[in-house]
Amino acid sequence: SPVTPIAQKPLYLCSPFVEAALVKGNFKTIVVLPKYVDIMEWVAVNVFDFYTNLNEFYGVISECCTQQSCPTMSAGQNLNYTWINQDRKSVHLAAPTYIDYVMTWIQNLLDDENVFPTKSGHDFPQSFPSTVKHVYRQLLRVFAHIYHAHYPQILHLRSEPHFNSLFAHFLAFGREYELLDIKDVKGAANSPVGAGMLWERWREMGILEG
Amino acid sequence: MQRSSSQSTTSSSSGSGKPADYVTFERSVAGFSDDAVHRAKAAQLKLEHFYKVAVEAAIERNTRRVELERKLQIDIMTSEDRKHRQLQQLGKKESTYLRLRRTRLGLDDFRTVKVIGKGAFGEVRLVQKTDTGKIYAMKTLKKEEMLKKDQLAHVRAERDVLAESNSHWVVQLFYSFQDPQTLYLIMEFLPGGDLMTMLIKYDTFSEDVTRFYIAECVLAIDTVHKLGFIHRDIKPDNILIDKDGHIKLSDFGLSTGFHKQHDSSYYQRLLDSSNGVQSPAAAARNSVMVNAIHLTMSSKDQIATWKANRRKLAYSTVGTPDYIAPEIFQQKGYGNECDWWSLGAIMFECLVGYPPFCSESTHDTYQKIIQWQYHLVFPDDVHLSREAEDLIRRLITSQDRRLNIEQIKNHPFFYGVEWDTIRLIDAPFVPHLRSITDTSYFPTDEIDQAPAEAPVADLADAQKDLAFLGYDIYSALSCCRLFIF
Ligand SMILES: Nc1ncnc2c1ncn2[C@@H]1O[C@H](COP(=O)(O)OP(=O)(O)OP(=O)(O)O)[C@@H](O)[C@H]1O
Repeated sequence: SPVTPIAQKPLYLCSPFVEAALVKGNFKTIVVLPKYVDIMEWVAVNVFDFYTNLNEFYGVISECCTQQSCPTMSAGQNLNYTWINQDRKSVHLAAPTYIDYVMTWIQNLLDDENVFPTKSGHDFPQSFPSTVKHVYRQLLRVFAHIYHAHYPQILHLRSEPHFNSLFAHFLAFGREYELLDIKDVKGAANSPVGAGMLWERWREMGILEG
Repeated sequence: MQRSSSQSTTSSSSGSGKPADYVTFERSVAGFSDDAVHRAKAAQLKLEHFYKVAVEAAIERNTRRVELERKLQIDIMTSEDRKHRQLQQLGKKESTYLRLRRTRLGLDDFRTVKVIGKGAFGEVRLVQKTDTGKIYAMKTLKKEEMLKKDQLAHVRAERDVLAESNSHWVVQLFYSFQDPQTLYLIMEFLPGGDLMTMLIKYDTFSEDVTRFYIAECVLAIDTVHKLGFIHRDIKPDNILIDKDGHIKLSDFGLSTGFHKQHDSSYYQRLLDSSNGVQSPAAAARNSVMVNAIHLTMSSKDQIATWKANRRKLAYSTVGTPDYIAPEIFQQKGYGNECDWWSLGAIMFECLVGYPPFCSESTHDTYQKIIQWQYHLVFPDDVHLSREAEDLIRRLITSQDRRLNIEQIKNHPFFYGVEWDTIRLIDAPFVPHLRSITDTSYFPTDEIDQAPAEAPVADLADAQKDLAFLGYDIYSALSCCRLFIF
């Protein structure tokens, strides 16, 4: 029989997994800025939570994400993210190294009183919005790699409803506060982000808003 | 895309009613380490907990705002300007609460002044927060001990009661945190000691003094009941005295909060299932075992049902016996009336000097409580008024005949009590305090003051942490109180 294009479709875009969700209903409830609340605090605590929750899931599959299995930070057929090193050069890193760098970098930011202030009287720096955008873009890459390279493992561990909801929430939040560029989510035409296709699918399904 | 075709197949779309891209996937954890399987389960639980709390917080935040807006709307005395400021103030409070979620308070932030109490799972210390100099009581609970004695459910309930109440009848909890070995509760410090210490000092109280303490306890217990909790372990050591000599309840170690997750066997089951012991249904291919959490909040009713569901009755038996109602031992259902029995026993002790069923051994105490009809005896050499004895007899009695809150308040023993203002009158004993760290009302000489042993690294931490999941949460309701940090 002829090979249908459907067979090529990544598992995360296939039924029933694409529909699997831990949370049902509208993300607006937990995404919109609560009235009178400081937007910086709201974004800060949400980014903190996305980081913590994603870190938890990456910890689960980290034994499957090795230098051998993932020599590059792949996120689509033709897409391998590069890391900008100290000399401002783009370098290819193995996915576990890349993710380790990202997560360490974010953890350090979260712990930095000058970036994510926690003490009373300390304000957010001017650069906070742009810092958060950077953080968000890197978190997106970690999601994208897990979808692209480790979704079967997520399925084996029966975690797809959880992981899907976390990602959908991440997208909904990123969209609400303009933390995500659509081109980062979808990737370039010749090197699309695999998980970026969930964006359209979930919008069609009503999981995400238009 | 690394995907072995033997694992997944696209089903033919012919007539099965399934979408064209429906695939089946043979799940197996064979390729994973035990650790990964365990962590996966933990991650799932954490995320479920996370979303449950997120929805809950959104609802509560919303309620607080709507309530304030409504209150201001009907208030014609306050200027628009002030109203605006009050709303901004609420926003500030909520923002501070969000910030606190990112803040990690730890043991380093507190300095021990003195150990003031000891309990089954740890101790209570008078501590000072290093940066602000404020004084608190810090209760420590050893996880190991609690897991061993299966007390987990109870500490979670304790945290919840303390966190949920904003009442002056309940000891205020400000913050909680944990390390691998220990849970910490940072509470308000009540400098007057406890009723047990007071009873040791005075042997018995006059009827007037007894009336004061028992009346305050009635209001305090009723407050706990109105929050939907049953204390179950009311005893003189849990009745604390504040700086003015009024009482507050503490130690919800045994109270039942009715959250499903308070059931520690629940964790055991989850751990078992992540260890491969699975029900046949769960093992089915493709099955996605997940209870969806609904985000859409439509009506007040929904909130009410949801709140009501949180507080379901639980059945279990634990305890130190002297003040505990018989129905609790008897594996039958019980309701909050069990706390009125305990109060009867305390009242007896205040007037008589010992609790009604005290015995040489706890076993004998159990026996006497179960056969209370034969063992509730008022000694001849102690004179009690008719009203006092009658009230005790109507509290220490079978469940169905015990007085309820209204009947208690209207009982002749309380004749003359001003229920609404009792907390404002002068207490019979007001502690004399020389400083904010005065511990003269605590038996500190009898308590080992040695610093707690250094934490030791421990195995099975992942498992333990899972059991204590969600422990470090601040109460939204007390968020205003959290400002003192
Ligand atoms: N907030 C507080 N302020 C002052 N003293 C306190 C406070 N909390 C507890 N104490 C003192 O410490 C003693 C022990 O505390 P508590 O009864 O809460 O713990 P516990 O003995 O571990 O409880 P359990 O009954 O579960 O064993 C109390 O009797 C009281 O004297």
